[in-house]
Amino acid sequence: MTADGIALLVILLGVLSAFAFVLRLLVRSLKLGKPEDRFDRWGERIWSVIVYVGAQARVLTQLAGLGHFIIFYGFVFISLGTFEHIGGMISPGFSYASIFGAKIAGMISWVQDVLGLLVLGAIIVSLFRRFVLKPLRLQIDDPKAKKEAVFILCLIFVLILLMFGMKGAGILMDPPKVDRAYAPVSAVVAGLIDGKADPHILERVFAWIHHVIIFYFLIFIPFSKHIHILGAVPNIFFRNLGPGGTLSRMDFEDESAEKFGNSEVRDFTWKQLLDLYACTECGRCQAVCPAYLTEKPLSPFRVIHMMRGHFVGDRQKLLEGGEEAEATPIIGKTVTEDEIWACTTCGACMQECPPFIEHVQKIVDMRRYLVMTESSFPHEMQPVFRNMEVNYNPWSMGFSTRADWAEGLDVPVAAEKQEFDVLFWVGCSGSFDTSGQSVARAMVEILKRAEVDFAILGVEEMCCGETARRMGNEYLAQTLIEANIENLNKYRFNRILTTCPHGFNTFSVEYPQFGYEKTVVHHSQFLLELAAAGKLAGTGNGSKGVYHDSCYLGRYNGIIDEPRELIKRSGAGELAEFGRRGKRSFCCGAGGGRMWMEETIGKRINEERVDEALALGVDTIYTACPFCMTMFEDGLKARDKEEEVKVKDIAEIF
Amino acid sequence: MKIIVLLKRVPDSEAKILINKEGTGIREDGVKFVINTYDEYAIEEGLLMKEKVGGDSKVTVVCMGPDEATEAIRTALAMGADDAVHIADDSLSNPGPFTTATIMAKAIGDEEFDIIFCGKQAIDDDMAQVHCILAEMLDIPQVSVAIAFELSDDTTKATVSRRIEGGDEKIDTSLPVIVSCDKGLNDPRYASLPGIMKAKKKEIRKKSLADLGFSEIPGGGRSRILKWLPLPKGGECRMVEAEETPDAVRELVRLLREEAKVI
Amino acid sequence: MTGDILVFGEIRNGELKKVARELVYGARTIAAGTGGSIDALIVGTGAETEAAKLASLGVRNIAVVDDEATANYSSEGYATVLADLVREGDYGYILLGATAMGRDLGARAVAKVDGVMFSDCVELGFEDGACIARRPVYSGKLYVEIAPTGGRPVFITIRPNNLPPAEETGDGGEVTARGAGIDLAAIRAIATEIAPLAGGRPDVTEADVIISGGRAMKDASNFKILEDLADLLGGAVGASRAAVDAGFAEQPLQVGQTGKVVNPKLYIACGISGAIQHLAGMRTSKVIVAINKDSNAPIFEKAHYGIVGNLFDVVPVLTEEIRKIL
Repeated sequence: MTADGIALLVILLGVLSAFAFVLRLLVRSLKLGKPEDRFDRWGERIWSVIVYVGAQARVLTQLAGLGHFIIFYGFVFISLGTFEHIGGMISPGFSYASIFGAKIAGMISWVQDVLGLLVLGAIIVSLFRRFVLKPLRLQIDDPKAKKEAVFILCLIFVLILLMFGMKGAGILMDPPKVDRAYAPVSAVVAGLIDGKADPHILERVFAWIHHVIIFYFLIFIPFSKHIHILGAVPNIFFRNLGPGGTLSRMDFEDESAEKFGNSEVRDFTWKQLLDLYACTECGRCQAVCPAYLTEKPLSPFRVIHMMRGHFVGDRQKLLEGGEEAEATPIIGKTVTEDEIWACTTCGACMQECPPFIEHVQKIVDMRRYLVMTESSFPHEMQPVFRNMEVNYNPWSMGFSTRADWAEGLDVPVAAEKQEFDVLFWVGCSGSFDTSGQSVARAMVEILKRAEVDFAILGVEEMCCGETARRMGNEYLAQTLIEANIENLNKYRFNRILTTCPHGFNTFSVEYPQFGYEKTVVHHSQFLLELAAAGKLAGTGNGSKGVYHDSCYLGRYNGIIDEPRELIKRSGAGELAEFGRRGKRSFCCGAGGGRMWMEETIGKRINEERVDEALALGVDTIYTACPFCMTMFEDGLKARDKEEEVKVKDIAEIF
Repeated sequence: MKIIVLLKRVPDSEAKILINKEGTGIREDGVKFVINTYDEYAIEEGLLMKEKVGGDSKVTVVCMGPDEATEAIRTALAMGADDAVHIADDSLSNPGPFTTATIMAKAIGDEEFDIIFCGKQAIDDDMAQVHCILAEMLDIPQVSVAIAFELSDDTTKATVSRRIEGGDEKIDTSLPVIVSCDKGLNDPRYASLPGIMKAKKKEIRKKSLADLGFSEIPGGGRSRILKWLPLPKGGECRMVEAEETPDAVRELVRLLREEAKVI
Repeated sequence: MTGDILVFGEIRNGELKKVARELVYGARTIAAGTGGSIDALIVGTGAETEAAKLASLGVRNIAVVDDEATANYSSEGYATVLADLVREGDYGYILLGATAMGRDLGARAVAKVDGVMFSDCVELGFEDGACIARRPVYSGKLYVEIAPTGGRPVFITIRPNNLPPAEETGDGGEVTARGAGIDLAAIRAIATEIAPLAGGRPDVTEADVIISGGRAMKDASNFKILEDLADLLGGAVGASRAAVDAGFAEQPLQVGQTGKVVNPKLYIACGISGAIQHLAGMRTSKVIVAINKDSNAPIFEKAHYGIVGNLFDVVPVLTEEIRKIL
């Protein structure tokens, strides 16, 4: 072993033990979080890693992701080379060629060279994007974050140059350490440095600088945004494999509890904390966030970034102090109440996030704290909660008037019928809102014409709890859910039919948390069934329309084609498409209880969406959600276009 | 500071109120009962005063009503009231203001108090009398329909604003006093979940008429309801039409004055 | 106890309130049944001069109390004066306006004489030897007819503008000044001042009358026509969310789900279509008038009276017509 081999070994051991220490800190810090079971379905989890880490499936949904792909694989192969080189320095004679043969070693070398060049290109493009193009998604009001990103890009750039220097010098060495035939780029570098200095010394100098930087990187990673190199892989492994539109069920058994919901690091689960380590700061979340895009203070990117900073700042104290340690509150400085309330829970951020961070649950967890522990929320929410508690609907409508819309329509009521095929869940909008009522009436008419054996719950129906849950009032939500389950269990039927994606989602994926499992169909699916069976005839509507995907229908539940198919079958004219559609639709602004909150900051989300529709030159906007419908109607009024453009639910076109 | 808040359980303001078959009262099926709206301002003001004065300040809820009123009492306790007296007696149904005031005077007589807050009226019988009668019985001053309440620094006096026709009347009062509260006085808080949990363990002292030393219902036999009448007008909107707009408007003004009697 | 009736005439700002004449009308209904006489009590600064307004209405005796102890209103002081006279005259019925003063004072005085009181009555009759009062209950969702069971003085507060004013009979009543008979120092709660409403208009949540405008107001300056009507009726101006969003009105004026929830006696919705967001805030108003050019607007489903027309044509005329009768 040479002298520098020994020196390197000593440094390496030091760095590795420091790295191990940091890793231990990271794992211990995650254990500050609450338990959460993500240890099921191993096969699917491994497959996730193959698809989303190996193949970078989500990263590559955008062209810029190609840069990441190149840098990622560049780094992998260069690391192989680094490993080989360090091995060779410590134990002379160690090389891939001696283990795998010259051919394979040569191929590794060739790939390194080609990827190295591509990485250089990718970094130049990245810097160009950051400094010249400045895409929206990379904007964050933390100068440190930007500096760090640039610093790391430059560091990688230097590393690649050093690698070429090393390999180039290696080619010139006697005997050559690197086979020129398998190192096309390094060969060029070799030509440049040939005769400038002793290649042996040059190789060593480049190598030392390179390895020191790598060591620095190893220590630096866990404290930078590049912690995602460590965090993203496990985060993808432990990702949510269940339905996206589910919030966690809270337990209210402990009556002596002083606190509900999340306000500090230890309130989150270990997986939620791992999310923070997994963020790549790519900002794709904020580029699709309806709140961010309409100048609200919320950016999912910023929330995660700030929370990670908070977590990193607080973890040491919490680890040392044990349970007694006082945590720094997250709500206030790290994440403001305005941010927390700006979220529509539309899930666009989660749809985009390459390492599968779950933003919405965190925001709702903090809402839970604000609502249930602090009673601190926008003032307009209080009547909503009160109305839901007393009259089981968000508006101040008497619960006994819930079925008044059905007067004179001869709608069968469950209490009288007892047994039937389909339970038509009318929902609060269908029961009370003028537009919603016309959808409910249209549905009843269709159901009768198609001779469907159905019934409604009538005055026994209560708010499904979806809104209360997303507004952070889990206690109220569970009260409503349990009361509804009790009523639903009184009757025998096969399916629940909803016209509201929020009800659809909550019955499908949240009621099962409370032991209630029933087949649920959204009316877009149900009407398509009827149409396919020849029981629905369209009347033809509008000359040019566009369908707006509701978040809880399209993104969360993948019901995208059915409503479009239905509109076509109705004999409607041309159907345009939004640029933002399907799973990538843009929220109407009403989700997450925003329907009942004032929107005083920035542009109205619904107006943003209406502008998008108006730009398409349509005369009809089709919706499949009562909230979306209201938001479009309001937005059209704000643009004075309510005469020219009509909003129609898909039940109103037959 | 010892604060008492009077509470009544009444039908929710959104409830459909229908006359029962016998014509002797309202149908209670399909009616949700809640804390009287105005009493919520009273609870909130009591809690605000407790928080302001601090020390061993205490808010006690006094409620007269059926066993089911416990739910309303628990809501007040969840908001932050400390304890409660619940006067429940099967013999009490729709007591008049004098009966209520007499019983409450007795129940309150057993408590210490500096201020009594209550709603400006209960939204069931809408009498708005109990607090005045009670004030007379307890021999303390009263202020009705408060929209602002300011306690002096030495907590012996208060300045209360009450809304009157065309202005706000400022009243200076000494303590103890009974104040009936109106909308606008404050924003009643939303009970936190720990508050709700704690309320389950707070003491509700249940008292019957006998416990209070009454052998029969006091203060009764003053009036009787002869008839319950539904609203004279149907729900339909009356469209006022005329050839010329001014004629329609004139007709509208006539209807508002003579039929609706609102101008 | 006699069948005589005592009418309480309320003085505000040195003037007798209009409702006093309506009370005399009600008193005549009772007097026709009991055969008793009608007397009046007027308390406060200017009581003596204002007594003339009742003198020609066939009121027998008008007691006026105007001294230092009654210069400012106090429930205790005024109730003592009233209760003393009720005992002295052994009155069977005492009528007061259902005003801030009448409701407060009446309930205190009835406690002093151990009588019975019917609040906020809208109609009076007389049958089987007793007065029958009709009064709203459950926030006006029902009415009851209520009668005293006898043996006690009956206090009745009557809502202003419900009974017609009593017509002049020409008979002159006798005006007698009385001392208050109370010790000012012993009064524990007393009015110190009356502050006129800030900005001249009540808050929407407290107003008895609200004139609200929607997006059809087209411009902030057009709210002037609503303000004129509101000021005439002593009411507030409200706005729909759409009008607030469009910048026509300030947020504190917003009525609806996310704004204020109001419950006035009269709500006039001008150019408001009636989305559930708005209805949730004003649905329980006693009388709703809708002015809208779209006859299919949902607001008409909740309104009691409706005019289909352009609000810019209707509202100014409405203001003028109301001005004529007030």
